[in-house]
Amino acid sequence: MKGYRDYFLRKLGWFAITVVVAFILNFTLPRLMPGDPVAAIVARMAQGMSNATGVQAVYEQYTELFATDRPIPEQFFIYIRNVLNGDFGYSISQYPRTVGEVINASVWWTIALQFPAIIVGWILGNTLGAMAAYLRKGFDRVLLPVSLFLSNIPPFGMAVILLVIFAVNLKWLPTSGGYRFDMVPNSSWEFVWSVIVHYQLPFWSIVLITIGGQAIGMRSMAIYELNADYVKYARFLGIKDSKIIRYVFRNAMLPQITGLALSIGTMVFGAVVAEIIFNYPGIGSTMLTAVLGGDYPLISAATLIITFMVLIAFFALEIIYGLIDPRIKAAQSE
Amino acid sequence: MSKVILEVNELTTNYVTRFREKIYAVDHVSLKVEEGKSVGIAGESGCGKSTLALSLMGYYFAPLHYSSGEIIVDGRNISGMDPDDVRKTILGREISYIPQAAMNALNPTQRVINFIEDVIQAHYPKTTKKEIYELARERFELLGLPAEVLRKYPVELSGGMKQRTVIATSVILSPKVLIADEPSSALDVTSQKMVIKMIMDLMNKGIIKALIFITHELPLLYNVTDDIMVMYAGQIVERGTAEQMVFDPIHPYTRALMGSIIVPEAGLRDVKLAAIPGTPPNLKNPPSGCRFADRCKFVKPECRAISVGLRDAGEGRAYRCIIPEEDLRKAYQSEG
Repeated sequence: MKGYRDYFLRKLGWFAITVVVAFILNFTLPRLMPGDPVAAIVARMAQGMSNATGVQAVYEQYTELFATDRPIPEQFFIYIRNVLNGDFGYSISQYPRTVGEVINASVWWTIALQFPAIIVGWILGNTLGAMAAYLRKGFDRVLLPVSLFLSNIPPFGMAVILLVIFAVNLKWLPTSGGYRFDMVPNSSWEFVWSVIVHYQLPFWSIVLITIGGQAIGMRSMAIYELNADYVKYARFLGIKDSKIIRYVFRNAMLPQITGLALSIGTMVFGAVVAEIIFNYPGIGSTMLTAVLGGDYPLISAATLIITFMVLIAFFALEIIYGLIDPRIKAAQSE
Repeated sequence: MSKVILEVNELTTNYVTRFREKIYAVDHVSLKVEEGKSVGIAGESGCGKSTLALSLMGYYFAPLHYSSGEIIVDGRNISGMDPDDVRKTILGREISYIPQAAMNALNPTQRVINFIEDVIQAHYPKTTKKEIYELARERFELLGLPAEVLRKYPVELSGGMKQRTVIATSVILSPKVLIADEPSSALDVTSQKMVIKMIMDLMNKGIIKALIFITHELPLLYNVTDDIMVMYAGQIVERGTAEQMVFDPIHPYTRALMGSIIVPEAGLRDVKLAAIPGTPPNLKNPPSGCRFADRCKFVKPECRAISVGLRDAGEGRAYRCIIPEEDLRKAYQSEG
């Protein structure tokens, strides 16, 4: 048990190092982009001002506010101190909103869209893949090419196909947004219904792609496991196929869980394409505006969130692996 | 003559290849095992030993298919039964099996006791977990295995321990017939000895009533089983008691097989090891005559023309050769 605990302490240490490195990169890289984002705000703020000294004064005020006049290393230490206090600063492109507000307003849309979609796609894909491996024949012959087709459509392609069919041609569902553009978020049934209707296309575009990839992986893993010696042995001791399928599923699932953890960890990043196409108010769209507006604080904070989500997903994965497969637990305890 | 536990008559099974060709890996095999007796089956790799083991259980899945013949277990003919019934009422309960690769025979993500629960509940769904644990503990201790093994995952057991766990699991329902397919081949000598002792214990303690032991090591059979059958290219080429088969083989193939194995018995130590030249025939198109003809030292032109059945040599012995027993013995003597 001691070895098991040490293993996770060691892992935590590595994760801490990763966080530090990622933090530095998240801070530095956006600031290396060309362009002066402060000038853009000033231009917006100073519209109609004819007094050059006045404009200069506004510019200086904002450079001081965002500390862009100081050298980057100094900015970095100020940033660390602020982040440790939970303050990510003001968003440049959406000033005067703070980064915290902007992210808080968008990240939940993304999580509510992506998390269920990934889970549903994963479960459906794995179930279909396992069925194809077990049933073979016609079911497999249909499922395999369909899965290959689905998994090879790029995310934006799937989104556009669904958009054209269901929103533009059939007009069953709205084309964009998270709710009707003339509504203000509230808790009325009308608003909830609007959210549900707008949810469908982005949701299914993610689910379909996930199903394809997962079904292919699960199918080949399950075919391999179905020929394993323990399956034959269990059959010869009279155990029913329904039970044996459960053994196979559990053993074939292991590599699939890695895929699940990866997609949950990177879902904020994966959200970008679907959200941009459907103009969904999630963190993907926010990231796009941040990058276009050279909004350093917002980019740094968003990428930091992604880093944390990936690391947490992988840490959870290590623990889940140990619970599912005693062989991995044994290796971890060494 | 005591009660016959397992009787197999003219059993033929075939593999179906991807190109729909049939390969008869077990070709008209007959055998009889009486209560308390054991039969060994020996032969080269690819001679059909393992397929025979699979065929004897009366349950087939692709690519192996049943072709003809009967299997009678304790008076009950199982070869015509519905496969699901065979699985529910025969496998594990009447006939049980120890696989060749015990290293991978246990589900890696399941504790030993949970697998035993599944085995018992497949046949007796009403048994409680507590009863199963008690039964398993008793059986494991009777066979000299510590009860802690039950709570472990296969990965936590050594190779020899895994193999013994598999054996104990196979006989958890006290089957009448146990088929052991090379249970000791993958083990080191110490573990091998323990496994063999354990299998002999199963007979002595009355847990099983009949044993079929499959191996490529003839001398091992001499120590374990009462009778020995030698297989070649899907057919039985000779059968007799262990003593007869090891020290007084009739068929040229049995003799060659003995000559190609190290025997630690005194007096035989100086015999030069001789490999059997050539390879077994391809069973896709078996030769029309004797299947061993191409590799036989004593081959005659008629060997390749006429296919011979098993010839009775008295006292339950039989051999498959066109040359009479006396002539073969003369030939062996002149050879030295």
